[in-house]
Amino acid sequence: MSNTEETKVEGVERWRFALVLAVFAILLAVVAGRLVMLHTIEQPFLFEQGEKRTVRSEVQMASRGIISDRFGQPLAVSTPVVTLWVNPKQVNPNELVGVAKTLGLNARDLVQRIERVARQGRSFYYIKRQVQPEIAEKILSQKIAGLYGDDDFRRYYPAAEVTAHTVGLVNVDGKGQEGLELAFDEYLEGSDGSRQVVKDLFGNVIKQLGVDSIAQSGEDLTLTLDLRLQYLAYRELKSVVQSHHAAAGSAVILDAKTGEILALVSQPSYNPNNRATLNPKHMRNRAVADLIEPGSTIKPFTVAAALESGKYTAGTKVDTSPGYVRIKNKTIRDHRDYGVLDLTGIITKSSNVGVSYLARDLGAESIWQFLNHAGIGNPGTLGFPGEAVSSIPYPEQLDDLRLSTVSYGYGLSVSPLQLAETYTSFVGGCRQHVSLLLAQAGSQPCEPVMSARTARQTLDMLETVVSAKGTGSRAAVDGYRVGGKTGTAHKVGRGGYEDSEYTAVFAGLAPLTDPDLILVVVVDEPQGQEYYGGEVAAPVFSRIMEQALRLRQVIPDKPGKDQLLQVAGGVR
Amino acid sequence: MTTMHGFLWSLVVVSAIAQVQAVSWHRDLLQEWQSADQKRHELTQDHTRLLLEKSTLTAHGRIDSLARKKLHMKEPEHTQVFRK
Repeated sequence: MSNTEETKVEGVERWRFALVLAVFAILLAVVAGRLVMLHTIEQPFLFEQGEKRTVRSEVQMASRGIISDRFGQPLAVSTPVVTLWVNPKQVNPNELVGVAKTLGLNARDLVQRIERVARQGRSFYYIKRQVQPEIAEKILSQKIAGLYGDDDFRRYYPAAEVTAHTVGLVNVDGKGQEGLELAFDEYLEGSDGSRQVVKDLFGNVIKQLGVDSIAQSGEDLTLTLDLRLQYLAYRELKSVVQSHHAAAGSAVILDAKTGEILALVSQPSYNPNNRATLNPKHMRNRAVADLIEPGSTIKPFTVAAALESGKYTAGTKVDTSPGYVRIKNKTIRDHRDYGVLDLTGIITKSSNVGVSYLARDLGAESIWQFLNHAGIGNPGTLGFPGEAVSSIPYPEQLDDLRLSTVSYGYGLSVSPLQLAETYTSFVGGCRQHVSLLLAQAGSQPCEPVMSARTARQTLDMLETVVSAKGTGSRAAVDGYRVGGKTGTAHKVGRGGYEDSEYTAVFAGLAPLTDPDLILVVVVDEPQGQEYYGGEVAAPVFSRIMEQALRLRQVIPDKPGKDQLLQVAGGVR
Repeated sequence: MTTMHGFLWSLVVVSAIAQVQAVSWHRDLLQEWQSADQKRHELTQDHTRLLLEKSTLTAHGRIDSLARKKLHMKEPEHTQVFRK
């Protein structure tokens, strides 16, 4: 019994042993086979999936270049901020109540919106963009699951509405929308960097696998603007636009010798730091984008053309009586009958009849040539968005009537900036190209318009306009010789020229001995009793010019009534 | 043969340790770089904030009104400039 039992047990044991061993061997083979399969056939797929779960591509934002004035005063600066977002699938909306409170958001509203987007299956939702870093730090330190903060930049404009039109602004994504921010967007924005990293559970980078590109900060832009002049021009322009209830206004200050734009202001303006209250109407850069009929401010060119022709001198007499002249059913009038005037007198009194005679004598071709050299009809060179192109009819289109009207500044159009540019012709007879970027200033050679002698004579004539007997006497500045020309243009409405809507203009230079600044002031639709250029624009011209000359420390060139001025440099 | 094997094995061990060392070094450097980058970020923040503060404080309009109101300054007239 025991024997048979033993063999039986032994037999069973052997059989069982073999079976168990075989099962284990098969299992081992299956595992080994699976291992081989995973390591060979499925390896690429698994590797990719693994990378997907650990490797992150990180973007590093490039900071946008600074825009500054000629002395380095910042006009547009990008400062680091944090954009907060949640993954609605991961976040518990009720945890965000405190966050909403810190950010000044409506908590219930936020929770509802996050629940809604979570139902839609989205995994990204902005809580608030461009949060102050300190506040964001406080919120992120609470370590709420599903709440993330990304580095971002916000653009600040320290001079706000004073430089708004020129500098322009960017949208919330840091893309240029207006002004220089738009024109030089690519130059300013730089390029974002990106790198491949491995992150751990807590979002810390533990391994950097590679760098695709390094973040390149944008280039800085230095303008020719002088923020001090910009401020004072803005302040004076704003006050005149308000006191005359005008629709709009603009002012341009140029360096007379180089054509550099020192100030470029428009009214009404806006605050580019507050994008919520933008009004497209206020965003128009009127000094660059608006075309005006320059009116009488063009007369000095007609007279200069007469001088340049050699047929006339400053003293040549022209009979303007009876104070009007009929050309093709249209009567061109002066304010009153000025009788016999010399060329200087025509400018002093701003005689329409006088310049009409001159223009007809010189002929359309020569007037057109002269104005064209002075820059009228040339496209703008700033590359500014919305920059207006001045226009003047071709000589073939200039019949007697149109030629006469062009000679006193009607029937052609320029922007205030272009008008200022034409006036650089009177400094040495050569027109400077305007520039807004310091790097480009003086890169283009000037355009000869007239001889230096003619330019000097015209400047002397312009000085008489600001004298007591001229139309622009209110543009005078104490201590300086100032020259300029008033202009008053009827605005063009639907039915031709409007009777009661005007544009008041004053364009001038100072100090005349050696011109330093050119200033053009335009006031659009001044209301009330005063609307002439000499009444509305000239006083502003005087105020801006006086302060600007003082700021630039230009030496007075006109001895005052007070003899003490002579003592100034002397021994005491 | 055995000496050759021993040598190769020691190479394997040495390179394995070197590999571990390199990874650790990489992490240290990365950590260092990240804290430097963080520092740079903070400095940029400070810089722009100070830049903005300075430009606000030195704004022409502010200086002008402070000079007039607080310091009672005014523009010089011709006769005033040269009097003691």
